[in-house]
Amino acid sequence: MAVFEITENIYSVGAVDWDRRLFDELIPLPDGTTYNSFLLKGDEKTALIDAVDPTKKDVLFENLKKINFEGLDYIISNHAEQDHSGTIPDLLKAYPDSTVITNEKCKDLLIEMLEISEEKIDIVQEGDEISLGDLTLKFKMIPWVHWPDTMLEYVPERDIMFTCDYLGSHYATSKLFIDDYKEVEDAAKRYYAEIMMPFRNKARENLSKVKESEPNILAPSHGPIYNKPESIISSYEKWTSKQVENKVIIPYVSMHGSVQGIVDNLVDLLIDRGIEVKPFRLTKTDTGNLAMEMVDAATIILGSPMVLGGAHPKVIYGSLLAGALNPKTRYLSVVGSYGWGGRLVDQLTEFVGKLDADVLDPVIIKGRAGKSDIEELKRLANDIEKKHKNDENVN
Amino acid sequence: MKKYECTVCPYVYDPEEGDSSSDIEPGTPFEDLPDDWTCPQCGVGKDMFEPVE
Repeated sequence: MAVFEITENIYSVGAVDWDRRLFDELIPLPDGTTYNSFLLKGDEKTALIDAVDPTKKDVLFENLKKINFEGLDYIISNHAEQDHSGTIPDLLKAYPDSTVITNEKCKDLLIEMLEISEEKIDIVQEGDEISLGDLTLKFKMIPWVHWPDTMLEYVPERDIMFTCDYLGSHYATSKLFIDDYKEVEDAAKRYYAEIMMPFRNKARENLSKVKESEPNILAPSHGPIYNKPESIISSYEKWTSKQVENKVIIPYVSMHGSVQGIVDNLVDLLIDRGIEVKPFRLTKTDTGNLAMEMVDAATIILGSPMVLGGAHPKVIYGSLLAGALNPKTRYLSVVGSYGWGGRLVDQLTEFVGKLDADVLDPVIIKGRAGKSDIEELKRLANDIEKKHKNDENVN
Repeated sequence: MKKYECTVCPYVYDPEEGDSSSDIEPGTPFEDLPDDWTCPQCGVGKDMFEPVE
């Protein structure tokens, strides 16, 4: 990434990872990502906010060489996850006089994960300030977005806030700011779905810490930075609210066409009832797209054949993913097909774990969907329509 | 005594059972758990728990 001067004496010095295609070995990244790092040059002291993934260490060091500054006084670590902290040991070697500034929780993780020496770390707490001369860092704690350790800084002299993972996106770009929020909205939603959604109560609570400062520029540690912060703040308000959309998603697998027939029928029945529907054939689906739709779908219907004495393992994976991401889904059901019996429904509803959804009567069919089975699918479609209409949390 | 559930994973703290993995005696109310107690299943802090309605 080129070096940008965001605002006077505040520089973006991080790296773009154009080719990264998977994060946490879990969610695909169609647009790559960035690891943002920021250099703040006060008239007395200099600070670096977060580092980069160790794979991009050289980019950070090259970028730092392009800026004229005398010594690095502080390395601010907002979050101990290695894509932001992994280069700190190298920075400490290159700038041995610098001190790592972080909070108590993050300090513990930096010591445990990166073996950073305790003497090199100073602690800040909620409301603490560090002066760089003509720039001030004001610290606020924003735990659980998405680790217990996360914090942010606000620099009042430039009206800029550094929120680390919070409000970020996996989106590789050569631009510093994105003029049209729509360009990054999907990437931000995909990011929220995987990282923040399981902790959405905290993601909502922490919004007040951002809003009370009314920053003019919001600089997260992944993706472009925002010069119109209200766009991403309003997305988070929507995603973390209790409201869901009049939408059904159907993660499913079909081996020989029976479940496909059930899903095709159900899709048409739901469309006829004015309900948005998105089927996801799990053998072909980008799990990031599925996770994004979980953010605001009112209902999830899992579709599975019986195989090897139970639900299809890929559908079990779908239900496990739903359980782990813990979306605000209101209703859940199962459709499936079997030849000679087995445990399908119990298994799938058991794996969704924490997901707090009402279970609607499932439709499990022997073989292909015949005429009487279509009636049962109509019953399920009617149930979904009625539940959505009578639920004040469904838009 | 009220049960408290973790908002991140399915674990529920039942004061009648306590939490043997952290040497919490049966009969310990949630409010009396030490501030640094964490969910025995997923590791989040006390502030991530809500009372079971």
